[in-house]
Amino acid sequence: MHGSADDPLIARVAAELRRPVPLRPDFDARVMAAVHRAIPSLPVRAWTWLREPRVVAVSPIGVLAMAAGLAGILLVGAVSREPGAGSREPIAESREPMAAASVTFVLVAPQARSVALAGDFNDWDASRVLMRREASGLWTVDVPLTPGRYRYVFVVDGRRFVADPAAPRAVGDDFGTPTSVVTVGGGALRAAEGSL
Amino acid sequence: MLMLAAALGGLVAPAVARAQTERLAGRLDERTRAAVTALVDSARAAGLPADPLVNKALEGASKGADGARIAAAVRALAGDLARTRAALGRTATEAELVAGAAALRAGATPAFLERLRGDYPREPLVVPLAVMADLVARGVPADTAARSVLALVRTGMREAELVAFRQSVERDVALGAPAGAAAAVRVNAAERDFATTQAGQQPSSAPPRPRKP
Amino acid sequence: MVEGDSDGVLVRRVLDGDTEAFGGLLARHRERGLRFATAMLGDAAEAEEAVQDAFVRAYRSLRTCRESERFGAWFLRILVNRCRTRGAMRRRSERVFVYDEAALERAAARPAGDPGWREEIDRALARLDALQREAFLLKHVEGLEYEEMARLTGARIPALKMRVKRACDHLRVLLREVDDARIR
Repeated sequence: MHGSADDPLIARVAAELRRPVPLRPDFDARVMAAVHRAIPSLPVRAWTWLREPRVVAVSPIGVLAMAAGLAGILLVGAVSREPGAGSREPIAESREPMAAASVTFVLVAPQARSVALAGDFNDWDASRVLMRREASGLWTVDVPLTPGRYRYVFVVDGRRFVADPAAPRAVGDDFGTPTSVVTVGGGALRAAEGSL
Repeated sequence: MLMLAAALGGLVAPAVARAQTERLAGRLDERTRAAVTALVDSARAAGLPADPLVNKALEGASKGADGARIAAAVRALAGDLARTRAALGRTATEAELVAGAAALRAGATPAFLERLRGDYPREPLVVPLAVMADLVARGVPADTAARSVLALVRTGMREAELVAFRQSVERDVALGAPAGAAAAVRVNAAERDFATTQAGQQPSSAPPRPRKP
Repeated sequence: MVEGDSDGVLVRRVLDGDTEAFGGLLARHRERGLRFATAMLGDAAEAEEAVQDAFVRAYRSLRTCRESERFGAWFLRILVNRCRTRGAMRRRSERVFVYDEAALERAAARPAGDPGWREEIDRALARLDALQREAFLLKHVEGLEYEEMARLTGARIPALKMRVKRACDHLRVLLREVDDARIR
């Protein structure tokens, strides 16, 4: 290694950092799922690293594989302020338009014959948004959503309500059915108090 | 119980008003539909948005709940929206009201909402409110979740970082950490680093030792 | 059989419509991507997201990959940019290492190696300026030549050399004590 041969400490550091890092077993599947979806780019700048809910394997008996950290919250536009800026300096006067983010809903359900999506964004009408089945039992659909908080469930085979294993749970009365929630952030700055 | 405040934002053209409740047609029995429509009209008169209430009714309909339960859920949500509006102010957007109602339902106090709005009068609060509710859903006690969000927003964190914080807590919980402790550890570290950077020093690189339960 | 096909062949197949061929590029380049992103970002889950994101972007803009035989270098450039974006969005205070059984388990899952040593290195890396860390990793871990690094980062070679030198100096200071204690 250039230069590190001169310094055994640096060489040891580099050697340690060259060790392979463990991979989640579904890493390839998730990337290929995203590749297959080939989501078109959003009309506004979006923090894409928060766009997709993580895929979590749902076995036929509904046991959860690892539900590690999932999006559940997506951000749209509004990049005029610098994240992490501690001060409260005035933010750019121009308001971002309330543009929609394309949210991808995913459920792994290899045994299902049909999977639909019912939620606040489609009048809770399961017949309206049927999800598309891909290889290995992955069901997906893309829905454009403006900033806000939306409750939803998957409807499997027309009758079984399934919460999204990879999303936060909704609070409040869910009518006895565990329900998921997705939040889309961003959006316009508020008008000054006193105006509408 | 709805607050019948002056309806500054509550004037909606009749056609729009009809369209909002027409979504209920064919989904609810007539009696439930009448009850919900009455609730929605009162809420609208009080300056609250109708769509979230109609969504709630449709959610109940879709899940086969009985009419009384649906009406009760709509009434409860209307109350939450009203309390949220009182705390966040008249200029709160519909999305903020919905997120605020969820936070209240998760156990936040109106004071929490007021603090948030007071600290950040011009920015959308949907994400901080949502993160609070999501943390509670993950098992973080409500007061810890509320304090965490306020503290983090005060260190300058905004939407992306608040979400990253929530994801970190979810990961810690998924790996076996108690939710409250996971949140507290990360908030303490963030506050400590914020304090030291404010003072012009480098934040400490030593990791916080987690307290054993 | 994908293993035998070169990157160039795979890229051309994907562009011709064989999406599955992208899986071959994925399999060949993901380890190195993860290695870099994990050391750069200091968080395994973030690194995975960054690498995933980079692969999806690579797929979408595959047409712009000018030398298909050099997909690896082109991909690494995308990944470096992804890591920069994420790094800028995260405050340093977020890089909290929660030492618990799960973290140790993860460390133990790595083939051999010394978990304590790796954690010390991670902490030291976290103390570096982001550009220095990036330059150090590209030079000493990924083994790139300065010309390659200049192409990848857009920085000039003298600036890159300075970053690497400063990174090494800083790491030496931070790790010397730890290293001495280990060797003894």
